[in-house]
Amino acid sequence: MKLLRTHPSAFARVSEFDAWFRHPLAGMPTLGQFFSHLGEVLPGATSDKLAVDVHEDKDAYHAHFEVPGVKKEDVKIELNNGLLTVTAEKRQKNGESESSHTLSRSISVPDGVNVEAITAKLEDGILNLTLPKAENKKPRSIELN
Amino acid sequence: MNATCTPSTCAPAAPSGVTESLRKPLYHVNGNAEAYEVRVEMPGVPKSGVKLDLEDNILTVRGERNSNAREGLKALHRELSPLNYLLRLRLNTPVDEEKMTAKLEDGVLAITLPLRQTAKPRQITVN
Repeated sequence: MKLLRTHPSAFARVSEFDAWFRHPLAGMPTLGQFFSHLGEVLPGATSDKLAVDVHEDKDAYHAHFEVPGVKKEDVKIELNNGLLTVTAEKRQKNGESESSHTLSRSISVPDGVNVEAITAKLEDGILNLTLPKAENKKPRSIELN
Repeated sequence: MNATCTPSTCAPAAPSGVTESLRKPLYHVNGNAEAYEVRVEMPGVPKSGVKLDLEDNILTVRGERNSNAREGLKALHRELSPLNYLLRLRLNTPVDEEKMTAKLEDGVLAITLPLRQTAKPRQITVN
């Protein structure tokens, strides 16, 4: 960095101001604004993230993913380090041509799930995952003597 | 039939007289010289929950979700809409109502609307 002595003349100030305006990024939204705007333009339905509901009952957690038009063979479910990732490939026919795009979503598996017993079912465009709770993690009522 | 229709005025009367809120499903329309195909995305709707109706060139599709409300179920995270679906499309081409078909597969309802003979483009040969 170089230190320059400035000459605070009126002319210099005007030209600095002018230069600032001519800066290629002057007037551009900041990165933060840009990304928040992107988020508005691309709401959930069109983004590549699957929508999910998670419910819990006394025996299990239930996750429901919306995957309309996705075939069973195009769904992949992976469990890695407590992170469950669902990837669905959606193929769409437009007349003679066929297009496909991939949707995915990861959820963290809650503590106390019997990982070996996780089951999945595809029904009416909804992927239902059942994550059973391990026996010793279920709530118990203790009798008073 | 009234051309303007908001979901609340089109909704079938709920048993208690309360108007039901509905949501418009995503849909795609493809077509060729023979027929139009309308694909309506209605995840969560079983075959028994689909109602189709074509009247005065207005195609009405209703989809009722399988309610999975069970006792002792606590919602931890909600993104999916629990609302039933309603789609109304005004057709500007005469279709053959008798030959209209629909198939529900993987939460997508595919409706085939064959064009009426007179609506098909005709080739006229010049002598």
